[in-house]
Amino acid sequence: MNFLTIFARNLKQGPQTEAFPLGPAFTPDRLRGRIEFKAESCEGCRICERVCPANAIRFAKTPDGMTFDCWHNTCVFCGNCEFYCPTDAIHQTNDWDLSHVNADKFDMVEHGLIPNQTCVDCGATALNTAPMVKNAKPPLSTEEVAEVRARCPKCRAKYLKNRKVPA
Amino acid sequence: MSTHNVPETFSIPVGPLHVALEEPMYFKIDVQGETVSHIDINAGHAHRGIEYLTTKRTMYQNVVLTERICSLCSNSHPQTFAMAAEKIAGIEVPERGIYLRTVADEMKRVTSHLFNVALLVHLVGYETYFMHMMQVREIGQDMLESIFGNRQDIGAMCIGGVRYDLDDKSIAYIKGALDKIEAETKDIIKTFKTNGSILRRTKGVGVLTHADAITCGVVGPVARASGVDYDVRREAPYAAYDRLPLVVHSLTDGDVWSRAMVRLEEILTSINLLRVCLRDLPGGPVNINDRPDIPPGQAVTRSEAPRGEVIYYLRTNDTPQPERVKWRVPTFMNWDSLRFMLQDAKIADIAMIVNSIDPCLSCTER
Ligand code: SF4
Ligand code: SF4
Repeated sequence: MNFLTIFARNLKQGPQTEAFPLGPAFTPDRLRGRIEFKAESCEGCRICERVCPANAIRFAKTPDGMTFDCWHNTCVFCGNCEFYCPTDAIHQTNDWDLSHVNADKFDMVEHGLIPNQTCVDCGATALNTAPMVKNAKPPLSTEEVAEVRARCPKCRAKYLKNRKVPA
Repeated sequence: MSTHNVPETFSIPVGPLHVALEEPMYFKIDVQGETVSHIDINAGHAHRGIEYLTTKRTMYQNVVLTERICSLCSNSHPQTFAMAAEKIAGIEVPERGIYLRTVADEMKRVTSHLFNVALLVHLVGYETYFMHMMQVREIGQDMLESIFGNRQDIGAMCIGGVRYDLDDKSIAYIKGALDKIEAETKDIIKTFKTNGSILRRTKGVGVLTHADAITCGVVGPVARASGVDYDVRREAPYAAYDRLPLVVHSLTDGDVWSRAMVRLEEILTSINLLRVCLRDLPGGPVNINDRPDIPPGQAVTRSEAPRGEVIYYLRTNDTPQPERVKWRVPTFMNWDSLRFMLQDAKIADIAMIVNSIDPCLSCTER
Protein backbone atom coordinates (compact mmCIF):
# COMPACT_ATOMS: atom_id res chain seq x y z
CA MET A 1 0.00 0.00 0.00
CA ASN A 2 2.70 2.35 1.12
CA PHE A 3 4.69 1.49 -1.97
CA LEU A 4 1.73 2.03 -4.27
CA THR A 5 1.28 5.54 -2.90
CA ILE A 6 4.90 6.36 -3.65
CA PHE A 7 4.50 4.85 -7.08
CA ALA A 8 1.45 6.96 -7.86
CA ARG A 9 3.11 10.09 -6.58
CA ASN A 10 6.26 9.49 -8.60
CA LEU A 11 4.22 8.77 -11.69
CA LYS A 12 2.53 12.13 -11.28
CA GLN A 13 5.74 14.03 -10.47
CA GLY A 14 7.81 12.66 -13.31
CA PRO A 15 11.57 12.14 -13.18
CA GLN A 16 13.41 13.51 -10.14
CA THR A 17 16.70 13.87 -11.96
CA GLU A 18 17.73 17.21 -13.37
CA ALA A 19 17.69 17.73 -17.10
CA PHE A 20 21.18 19.21 -17.08
CA PRO A 21 22.87 19.87 -19.55
CA LEU A 22 19.61 20.17 -21.49
CA GLY A 23 17.97 22.19 -18.76
CA PRO A 24 19.04 24.23 -15.73
CA ALA A 25 20.55 22.53 -12.70
CA PHE A 26 19.58 23.23 -9.09
CA THR A 27 21.84 26.08 -7.99
CA PRO A 28 21.19 27.70 -4.62
CA ASP A 29 22.31 31.29 -4.04
CA ARG A 30 24.75 30.28 -1.34
CA LEU A 31 26.51 27.68 -3.48
CA ARG A 32 30.25 28.02 -3.08
CA GLY A 33 31.70 28.09 -6.57
CA ARG A 34 34.07 30.08 -8.75
CA ILE A 35 36.19 32.72 -7.00
CA GLU A 36 35.73 36.37 -7.90
CA PHE A 37 38.36 38.96 -6.97
CA LYS A 38 37.76 42.70 -6.82
CA ALA A 39 41.14 44.43 -6.89
CA GLU A 40 39.62 47.83 -5.96
CA SER A 41 38.44 46.56 -2.57
CA CYS A 42 41.58 44.59 -1.71
CA GLU A 43 43.71 45.84 1.17
CA GLY A 44 46.64 43.72 0.12
CA CYS A 45 46.79 42.13 3.56
CA ARG A 46 47.32 38.69 2.01
CA ILE A 47 45.31 36.94 4.69
CA CYS A 48 43.50 34.98 2.00
CA GLU A 49 46.81 33.66 0.74
CA ARG A 50 47.73 32.53 4.25
CA VAL A 51 44.46 30.82 5.13
CA CYS A 52 43.99 29.08 1.79
CA PRO A 53 44.52 25.40 2.58
CA ALA A 54 45.20 24.49 -1.03
CA ASN A 55 47.72 27.24 -1.71
CA ALA A 56 45.57 28.22 -4.66
CA ILE A 57 46.08 31.94 -4.11
CA ARG A 58 49.32 33.61 -5.03
CA PHE A 59 50.25 37.28 -4.83
CA ALA A 60 53.30 38.47 -6.71
CA LYS A 61 55.10 41.79 -6.98
CA THR A 62 55.51 42.96 -10.56
CA PRO A 63 56.67 46.27 -12.05
CA ASP A 64 53.01 47.27 -12.45
CA GLY A 65 51.94 46.46 -8.93
CA MET A 66 50.84 43.36 -7.10
CA THR A 67 49.09 40.61 -9.00
CA PHE A 68 46.54 38.25 -7.55
CA ASP A 69 46.01 34.79 -8.98
CA CYS A 70 43.59 32.14 -7.82
CA TRP A 71 44.01 28.82 -9.56
CA HIS A 72 40.62 27.26 -9.91
CA ASN A 73 42.11 23.89 -10.64
CA THR A 74 43.86 23.96 -7.27
CA CYS A 75 41.10 25.62 -5.27
CA VAL A 76 38.96 23.30 -3.16
CA PHE A 77 36.12 25.86 -2.85
CA CYS A 78 36.29 25.85 0.91
CA GLY A 79 35.53 29.54 1.27
CA ASN A 80 38.24 30.24 3.85
CA CYS A 81 39.54 33.15 1.76
CA GLU A 82 36.17 34.86 1.59
CA PHE A 83 35.48 34.20 5.26
CA TYR A 84 38.71 35.73 6.52
CA CYS A 85 38.99 38.56 3.96
CA PRO A 86 38.40 41.79 5.87
CA THR A 87 36.90 43.66 2.91
CA ASP A 88 34.86 41.20 0.81
CA ALA A 89 37.39 41.69 -2.00
CA ILE A 90 37.31 37.97 -2.57
CA HIS A 91 34.00 36.26 -3.05
CA GLN A 92 32.74 32.84 -4.06
CA THR A 93 30.08 33.11 -6.72
CA ASN A 94 27.51 30.37 -7.23
CA ASP A 95 28.92 29.58 -10.65
CA TRP A 96 29.86 25.91 -10.42
CA ASP A 97 30.34 25.13 -14.09
CA LEU A 98 34.10 24.93 -14.34
CA SER A 99 34.32 22.30 -17.02
CA HIS A 100 36.83 23.15 -19.70
CA VAL A 101 38.91 21.48 -22.35
CA ASN A 102 42.34 20.31 -21.34
CA ALA A 103 44.04 22.95 -23.48
CA ASP A 104 42.50 25.65 -21.26
CA LYS A 105 43.68 24.18 -18.00
CA PHE A 106 46.20 26.93 -17.31
CA ASP A 107 43.61 29.61 -17.98
CA MET A 108 41.30 28.55 -15.16
CA VAL A 109 42.64 31.41 -13.13
CA GLU A 110 41.01 34.43 -11.52
CA HIS A 111 43.49 37.20 -12.12
CA GLY A 112 43.66 40.67 -10.63
CA LEU A 113 46.12 43.52 -10.34
CA ILE A 114 46.52 46.03 -7.55
CA PRO A 115 48.28 48.75 -9.54
CA ASN A 116 51.13 50.94 -8.42
CA GLN A 117 50.51 54.64 -7.86
CA THR A 118 52.55 57.67 -6.96
CA CYS A 119 51.96 58.96 -3.46
CA VAL A 120 50.42 62.43 -3.60
CA ASP A 121 52.49 63.54 -0.60
CA CYS A 122 55.98 62.15 -0.99
CA GLY A 123 55.93 60.91 -4.57
CA ALA A 124 57.00 57.39 -3.66
CA THR A 125 55.70 54.47 -5.69
CA ALA A 126 53.26 52.41 -3.65
CA LEU A 127 50.37 50.02 -4.16
CA ASN A 128 46.93 51.47 -4.72
CA THR A 129 45.32 49.20 -2.13
CA ALA A 130 42.08 49.85 -0.32
CA PRO A 131 42.96 51.60 2.96
CA MET A 132 42.65 49.64 6.19
CA VAL A 133 40.44 52.13 7.98
CA LYS A 134 37.57 49.95 9.15
CA ASN A 135 38.35 50.58 12.81
CA ALA A 136 39.07 54.29 12.47
CA LYS A 137 37.02 56.43 14.81
CA PRO A 138 35.03 58.35 13.79
CA PRO A 139 34.52 56.48 10.50
CA LEU A 140 36.10 58.11 7.48
CA SER A 141 33.99 59.88 4.89
CA THR A 142 34.20 58.76 1.27
CA GLU A 143 36.42 61.74 0.42
CA GLU A 144 38.75 60.96 3.31
CA VAL A 145 39.02 57.33 2.22
CA ALA A 146 39.96 58.51 -1.27
CA GLU A 147 42.59 60.83 0.19
CA VAL A 148 44.09 58.08 2.31
CA ARG A 149 44.04 55.79 -0.68
CA ALA A 150 46.10 58.20 -2.79
CA ARG A 151 49.03 57.95 -0.37
CA CYS A 152 51.78 55.48 0.36
CA PRO A 153 51.63 53.45 3.63
CA LYS A 154 53.86 55.88 5.51
CA CYS A 155 51.94 58.97 4.41
CA ARG A 156 48.66 57.14 5.09
CA ALA A 157 49.72 56.66 8.70
CA LYS A 158 50.75 60.29 8.92
CA TYR A 159 47.45 61.42 7.39
CA LEU A 160 45.42 59.38 9.86
CA LYS A 161 47.52 60.62 12.79
CA ASN A 162 47.10 64.26 11.82
CA ARG A 163 43.46 63.85 10.99
CA LYS A 164 41.39 66.45 12.78
CA VAL A 165 38.83 64.61 14.82
CA PRO A 166 35.84 66.89 15.26
CA ALA A 167 35.07 67.30 18.93
CA MET B 1 28.57 -37.68 -7.98
CA SER B 2 31.87 -38.18 -6.31
CA THR B 3 32.90 -35.77 -3.61
CA HIS B 4 36.44 -37.07 -3.32
CA ASN B 5 38.32 -34.15 -4.85
CA VAL B 6 36.21 -31.35 -3.50
CA PRO B 7 37.83 -29.73 -0.46
CA GLU B 8 35.50 -28.90 2.37
CA THR B 9 36.57 -25.33 2.86
CA PHE B 10 37.35 -22.65 0.32
CA SER B 11 39.05 -19.34 0.74
CA ILE B 12 37.36 -16.52 -1.10
CA PRO B 13 38.55 -12.97 -1.49
CA VAL B 14 36.03 -10.25 -0.77
CA GLY B 15 37.22 -6.78 -1.73
CA PRO B 16 39.37 -4.80 -1.67
CA LEU B 17 36.97 -2.95 -3.90
CA HIS B 18 33.21 -2.92 -3.89
CA VAL B 19 32.34 -4.76 -0.72
CA ALA B 20 29.51 -2.44 0.13
CA LEU B 21 30.49 1.17 -0.12
CA GLU B 22 33.14 1.13 -2.84
CA GLU B 23 35.67 1.66 -0.12
CA PRO B 24 38.80 -0.46 -0.14
CA MET B 25 38.83 -3.20 2.47
CA TYR B 26 39.96 -6.71 1.84
CA PHE B 27 38.54 -9.78 3.53
CA LYS B 28 39.98 -13.23 3.13
CA ILE B 29 37.09 -15.40 4.00
CA ASP B 30 37.15 -19.14 4.56
CA VAL B 31 33.84 -20.70 3.76
CA GLN B 32 32.39 -24.08 4.39
CA GLY B 33 29.73 -24.51 1.78
CA GLU B 34 27.88 -21.24 2.02
CA THR B 35 28.86 -20.47 5.57
CA VAL B 36 31.69 -18.24 6.70
CA SER B 37 34.07 -20.10 8.99
CA HIS B 38 36.98 -17.72 9.33
CA ILE B 39 37.65 -14.06 8.48
CA ASP B 40 40.90 -12.24 7.88
CA ILE B 41 40.60 -8.49 7.59
CA ASN B 42 43.28 -6.68 5.66
CA ALA B 43 43.10 -2.91 5.63
CA GLY B 44 45.38 -0.07 4.74
CA HIS B 45 44.66 0.45 1.05
CA ALA B 46 43.65 4.09 1.30
CA HIS B 47 46.44 5.78 3.22
CA ARG B 48 46.57 9.43 2.21
CA GLY B 49 48.99 10.78 4.80
CA ILE B 50 46.58 13.38 6.15
CA GLU B 51 47.85 13.12 9.71
CA TYR B 52 51.29 14.13 8.49
CA LEU B 53 49.83 16.83 6.25
CA THR B 54 48.14 18.51 9.21
CA THR B 55 51.54 19.30 10.68
CA LYS B 56 52.44 21.10 7.44
CA ARG B 57 49.35 23.32 7.46
CA THR B 58 48.43 26.13 9.80
CA MET B 59 45.65 25.70 12.34
CA TYR B 60 43.28 27.68 10.14
CA GLN B 61 44.08 25.69 7.03
CA ASN B 62 43.63 22.49 9.00
CA VAL B 63 39.98 23.21 9.70
CA VAL B 64 39.47 22.72 5.97
CA LEU B 65 41.85 19.78 5.69
CA THR B 66 40.20 17.85 8.52
CA GLU B 67 36.85 18.43 6.87
CA ARG B 68 38.12 16.44 3.92
CA ILE B 69 39.03 13.38 5.96
CA CYS B 70 35.58 11.93 5.48
CA SER B 71 32.71 13.12 3.36
CA LEU B 72 29.87 11.86 5.53
CA CYS B 73 31.31 12.89 8.90
CA SER B 74 32.70 16.02 7.29
CA ASN B 75 31.29 18.23 10.01
CA SER B 76 32.43 16.21 13.01
CA HIS B 77 36.12 16.30 12.13
CA PRO B 78 36.61 20.07 11.85
CA GLN B 79 34.30 20.58 14.79
CA THR B 80 36.29 18.31 17.08
CA PHE B 81 39.52 19.81 15.78
CA ALA B 82 38.24 23.34 16.40
CA MET B 83 37.06 22.30 19.88
CA ALA B 84 40.61 21.13 20.66
CA ALA B 85 42.13 24.41 19.42
CA GLU B 86 39.58 26.38 21.42
CA LYS B 87 40.37 24.36 24.53
CA ILE B 88 44.07 25.14 24.20
CA ALA B 89 43.54 28.83 23.50
CA GLY B 90 40.70 29.22 26.00
CA ILE B 91 38.36 30.51 23.31
CA GLU B 92 34.67 30.75 24.21
CA VAL B 93 32.35 30.18 21.30
CA PRO B 94 29.43 32.64 21.34
CA GLU B 95 26.04 31.22 22.26
CA ARG B 96 24.57 31.52 18.76
CA GLY B 97 27.64 29.79 17.33
CA ILE B 98 27.13 26.90 19.75
CA TYR B 99 23.58 26.37 18.53
CA LEU B 100 24.56 26.69 14.88
CA ARG B 101 27.25 24.05 15.42
CA THR B 102 24.58 21.69 16.66
CA VAL B 103 22.38 22.52 13.67
CA ALA B 104 25.17 21.66 11.23
CA ASP B 105 26.02 18.48 13.12
CA GLU B 106 22.48 17.16 13.19
CA MET B 107 21.81 17.99 9.54
CA LYS B 108 24.83 15.94 8.57
CA ARG B 109 23.67 13.11 10.81
CA VAL B 110 20.29 12.97 9.12
CA THR B 111 21.74 12.66 5.63
CA SER B 112 24.51 10.30 6.70
CA HIS B 113 22.12 7.88 8.38
CA LEU B 114 19.70 8.01 5.46
CA PHE B 115 22.56 7.18 3.12
CA ASN B 116 23.65 4.16 5.12
CA VAL B 117 20.19 2.71 5.53
CA ALA B 118 19.46 3.32 1.84
CA LEU B 119 22.56 1.35 0.96
CA LEU B 120 21.37 -1.45 3.18
CA VAL B 121 18.15 -1.60 1.20
CA HIS B 122 20.22 -1.67 -1.98
CA LEU B 123 22.22 -4.63 -0.67
CA VAL B 124 19.02 -6.35 0.37
CA GLY B 125 18.16 -6.15 -3.31
CA TYR B 126 15.18 -3.85 -2.99
CA GLU B 127 16.41 -1.39 -5.62
CA THR B 128 13.20 0.57 -5.99
CA TYR B 129 13.06 1.39 -2.33
CA PHE B 130 16.76 2.24 -2.39
CA MET B 131 16.03 4.83 -5.07
CA HIS B 132 13.18 6.16 -2.99
CA MET B 133 15.35 6.50 0.11
CA MET B 134 18.08 8.25 -1.82
CA GLN B 135 15.45 10.65 -3.09
CA VAL B 136 14.42 11.35 0.50
CA ARG B 137 18.06 11.92 1.38
CA GLU B 138 18.25 14.31 -1.55
CA ILE B 139 15.88 16.64 0.31
CA GLY B 140 18.55 16.79 2.99
CA GLN B 141 21.37 17.20 0.49
CA ASP B 142 19.56 20.09 -1.18
CA MET B 143 19.14 21.58 2.27
CA LEU B 144 22.88 21.33 2.94
CA GLU B 145 23.67 22.84 -0.43
CA SER B 146 21.22 25.69 0.06
CA ILE B 147 22.34 26.56 3.58
CA PHE B 148 26.07 25.86 3.44
CA GLY B 149 26.87 25.99 -0.26
CA ASN B 150 28.07 22.42 -0.64
CA ARG B 151 26.46 19.00 -0.47
CA GLN B 152 29.22 17.32 1.52
CA ASP B 153 31.99 19.62 2.70
CA ILE B 154 29.65 22.07 4.29
CA GLY B 155 32.38 24.32 5.70
CA ALA B 156 30.29 25.30 8.68
CA MET B 157 33.03 25.26 11.31
CA CYS B 158 35.79 27.67 12.13
CA ILE B 159 37.97 28.04 15.17
CA GLY B 160 35.88 30.19 17.47
CA GLY B 161 32.43 29.41 16.12
CA VAL B 162 30.76 28.84 12.79
CA ARG B 163 31.11 30.42 9.40
CA TYR B 164 27.46 30.60 8.45
CA ASP B 165 24.36 32.27 9.77
CA LEU B 166 20.66 31.65 9.43
CA ASP B 167 17.99 34.22 8.71
CA ASP B 168 14.23 33.86 8.89
CA LYS B 169 14.05 32.72 5.30
CA SER B 170 16.57 29.93 5.69
CA ILE B 171 15.04 28.84 8.99
CA ALA B 172 11.65 28.56 7.33
CA TYR B 173 13.22 26.62 4.48
CA ILE B 174 14.95 24.18 6.86
CA LYS B 175 11.73 23.65 8.79
CA GLY B 176 9.90 22.84 5.58
CA ALA B 177 12.57 20.37 4.49
CA LEU B 178 12.59 18.73 7.94
CA ASP B 179 8.83 18.23 7.81
CA LYS B 180 9.21 16.39 4.53
CA ILE B 181 12.10 14.23 5.72
CA GLU B 182 10.31 13.43 8.97
CA ALA B 183 7.16 12.19 7.24
CA GLU B 184 9.19 10.07 4.83
CA THR B 185 11.39 8.66 7.60
CA LYS B 186 8.34 7.61 9.58
CA ASP B 187 7.17 5.79 6.48
CA ILE B 188 10.56 4.16 6.05
CA ILE B 189 10.48 2.97 9.66
CA LYS B 190 7.05 1.45 9.06
CA THR B 191 8.40 -0.29 5.97
CA PHE B 192 11.37 -1.61 7.92
CA LYS B 193 9.03 -3.04 10.53
CA THR B 194 6.68 -4.72 8.08
CA ASN B 195 8.36 -5.41 4.75
CA GLY B 196 9.00 -9.15 4.39
CA SER B 197 12.06 -8.86 2.13
CA ILE B 198 13.83 -6.45 4.45
CA LEU B 199 12.91 -8.35 7.60
CA ARG B 200 13.96 -11.74 6.22
CA ARG B 201 17.32 -10.47 5.04
CA THR B 202 18.23 -8.38 8.07
CA LYS B 203 16.64 -9.87 11.21
CA GLY B 204 18.96 -12.12 13.16
CA VAL B 205 21.75 -11.55 10.62
CA GLY B 206 25.23 -10.36 11.58
CA VAL B 207 24.55 -10.48 15.29
CA LEU B 208 26.92 -8.71 17.67
CA THR B 209 26.07 -9.69 21.22
CA HIS B 210 26.26 -7.22 24.05
CA ALA B 211 29.32 -9.00 25.46
CA ASP B 212 31.13 -8.95 22.12
CA ALA B 213 30.22 -5.31 21.66
CA ILE B 214 31.90 -4.54 24.97
CA THR B 215 34.93 -6.67 24.03
CA CYS B 216 35.41 -4.82 20.74
CA GLY B 217 34.69 -1.45 22.29
CA VAL B 218 32.34 -0.54 19.46
CA VAL B 219 30.83 2.92 19.31
CA GLY B 220 27.95 4.77 17.73
CA PRO B 221 24.87 3.09 16.31
CA VAL B 222 26.73 -0.26 16.21
CA ALA B 223 27.15 -0.14 19.97
CA ARG B 224 23.65 1.15 20.62
CA ALA B 225 22.09 -1.62 18.53
CA SER B 226 23.83 -4.16 20.78
CA GLY B 227 22.46 -2.62 23.93
CA VAL B 228 25.45 -0.42 24.79
CA ASP B 229 23.65 2.73 25.81
CA TYR B 230 26.39 5.24 25.01
CA ASP B 231 26.34 8.50 23.15
CA VAL B 232 28.99 11.20 23.51
CA ARG B 233 26.34 13.85 23.07
CA ARG B 234 24.93 12.74 26.42
CA GLU B 235 28.05 11.44 28.22
CA ALA B 236 30.24 14.45 27.50
CA PRO B 237 28.01 17.14 26.04
CA TYR B 238 29.58 19.62 23.67
CA ALA B 239 28.03 22.34 21.49
CA ALA B 240 24.45 22.85 22.73
CA TYR B 241 23.64 19.24 23.57
CA ASP B 242 23.43 19.82 27.30
CA ARG B 243 20.33 21.96 26.83
CA LEU B 244 18.55 19.84 24.23
CA PRO B 245 16.05 17.02 24.71
CA LEU B 246 18.39 14.33 23.40
CA VAL B 247 17.01 10.80 23.29
CA VAL B 248 19.56 8.02 22.96
CA HIS B 249 18.13 5.03 21.15
CA SER B 250 19.36 1.58 21.92
CA LEU B 251 18.18 -1.89 20.99
CA THR B 252 19.29 -5.28 22.22
CA ASP B 253 19.34 -7.69 19.28
CA GLY B 254 22.59 -6.46 17.74
CA ASP B 255 21.63 -7.57 14.24
CA VAL B 256 21.70 -5.70 10.93
CA TRP B 257 18.06 -4.73 11.36
CA SER B 258 18.65 -3.22 14.80
CA ARG B 259 21.56 -1.15 13.55
CA ALA B 260 19.42 0.22 10.75
CA MET B 261 16.55 0.84 13.13
CA VAL B 262 18.75 2.74 15.60
CA ARG B 263 19.86 4.97 12.73
CA LEU B 264 16.32 5.57 11.54
CA GLU B 265 15.15 6.46 15.04
CA GLU B 266 18.14 8.77 15.41
CA ILE B 267 17.07 10.63 12.29
CA LEU B 268 13.78 11.48 13.97
CA THR B 269 15.61 12.55 17.12
CA SER B 270 17.96 14.72 15.06
CA ILE B 271 15.02 16.38 13.37
CA ASN B 272 13.53 17.09 16.76
CA LEU B 273 16.84 18.52 18.02
CA LEU B 274 17.07 20.69 14.92
CA ARG B 275 13.60 22.07 15.52
CA VAL B 276 14.42 22.89 19.13
CA CYS B 277 17.69 24.55 18.07
CA LEU B 278 15.94 26.67 15.46
CA ARG B 279 13.27 27.64 17.99
CA ASP B 280 15.73 28.56 20.76
CA LEU B 281 18.39 30.07 18.51
CA PRO B 282 19.86 32.93 20.55
CA GLY B 283 20.94 36.20 18.95
CA GLY B 284 24.42 37.66 18.83
CA PRO B 285 27.56 36.86 16.90
CA VAL B 286 28.14 33.41 15.40
CA ASN B 287 31.90 33.41 15.95
CA ILE B 288 34.60 35.35 17.75
CA ASN B 289 35.37 37.35 14.58
CA ASP B 290 39.09 36.98 15.11
CA ARG B 291 41.94 34.73 14.07
CA PRO B 292 44.00 34.42 17.24
CA ASP B 293 47.27 32.51 17.44
CA ILE B 294 46.82 29.20 19.21
CA PRO B 295 49.36 29.06 22.07
CA PRO B 296 51.45 25.97 22.80
CA GLY B 297 49.51 23.25 24.58
CA GLN B 298 47.66 20.03 24.13
CA ALA B 299 44.07 18.95 24.28
CA VAL B 300 41.84 15.94 23.76
CA THR B 301 38.29 16.45 22.60
CA ARG B 302 35.56 14.14 21.41
CA SER B 303 32.23 14.29 19.71
CA GLU B 304 29.55 11.97 18.39
CA ALA B 305 29.94 11.68 14.63
CA PRO B 306 27.19 9.89 12.70
CA ARG B 307 29.29 6.72 12.93
CA GLY B 308 30.12 7.09 16.60
CA GLU B 309 32.65 8.65 18.91
CA VAL B 310 35.50 10.55 17.27
CA ILE B 311 38.40 11.64 19.45
CA TYR B 312 40.98 14.31 18.59
CA TYR B 313 44.32 14.85 20.17
CA LEU B 314 46.02 18.13 19.30
CA ARG B 315 49.41 19.37 20.38
CA THR B 316 50.52 22.86 19.40
CA ASN B 317 53.82 24.65 19.74
CA ASP B 318 54.68 28.24 19.01
CA THR B 319 54.53 27.86 15.24
CA PRO B 320 51.28 28.38 13.33
CA GLN B 321 51.30 24.66 12.49
CA PRO B 322 50.25 22.04 15.02
CA GLU B 323 52.97 19.74 16.24
CA ARG B 324 50.79 16.67 16.21
CA VAL B 325 47.20 15.90 15.36
CA LYS B 326 45.86 12.45 15.96
CA TRP B 327 42.32 11.25 15.75
CA ARG B 328 40.55 8.04 16.58
CA VAL B 329 37.58 7.39 14.38
CA PRO B 330 34.53 5.23 15.00
CA THR B 331 35.21 2.74 12.20
CA PHE B 332 38.52 1.81 13.78
CA MET B 333 36.62 0.50 16.79
CA ASN B 334 33.78 -0.95 14.77
CA TRP B 335 35.49 -2.94 12.06
CA ASP B 336 36.97 -5.42 14.52
CA SER B 337 33.47 -6.45 15.42
CA LEU B 338 33.02 -7.69 11.85
CA ARG B 339 34.90 -10.81 12.93
CA PHE B 340 32.05 -11.62 15.27
CA MET B 341 29.27 -10.48 12.97
CA LEU B 342 30.54 -12.40 9.95
CA GLN B 343 31.23 -15.62 11.85
CA ASP B 344 28.83 -18.29 10.52
CA ALA B 345 27.13 -15.78 8.25
CA LYS B 346 26.05 -16.68 4.73
CA ILE B 347 28.20 -15.51 1.83
CA ALA B 348 25.30 -13.54 0.41
CA ASP B 349 25.04 -11.53 3.62
CA ILE B 350 28.67 -10.45 3.80
CA ALA B 351 28.28 -7.14 1.99
CA MET B 352 25.17 -6.30 3.98
CA ILE B 353 26.87 -7.02 7.30
CA VAL B 354 29.93 -4.99 6.34
CA ASN B 355 27.66 -2.10 5.38
CA SER B 356 25.80 -2.34 8.67
CA ILE B 357 28.77 -0.99 10.63
CA ASP B 358 28.64 2.02 8.30
CA PRO B 359 32.35 1.61 7.55
CA CYS B 360 34.32 4.70 6.68
CA LEU B 361 37.78 3.79 5.53
CA SER B 362 38.75 7.21 4.28
CA CYS B 363 38.91 8.42 7.87
CA THR B 364 40.23 5.22 9.40
CA GLU B 365 43.16 4.93 7.04
CA ARG B 366 43.38 8.66 6.27
S1 SF4 C 1 41.54 39.67 -1.03
FE1 SF4 C 1 40.98 40.19 1.07
S2 SF4 C 1 42.22 38.82 2.33
FE2 SF4 C 1 43.12 38.80 0.28
S3 SF4 C 1 44.70 40.37 0.36
FE3 SF4 C 1 42.86 41.37 -0.42
S4 SF4 C 1 41.86 42.22 1.39
FE4 SF4 C 1 43.37 40.74 2.14
S1 SF4 D 1 38.04 28.76 -1.67
FE1 SF4 D 1 39.54 27.81 -0.30
S2 SF4 D 1 40.92 26.71 -1.67
FE2 SF4 D 1 39.80 28.17 -2.94
S3 SF4 D 1 41.08 29.96 -3.01
FE3 SF4 D 1 39.65 30.28 -1.31
S4 SF4 D 1 40.73 29.51 0.50
FE4 SF4 D 1 41.82 28.73 -1.32
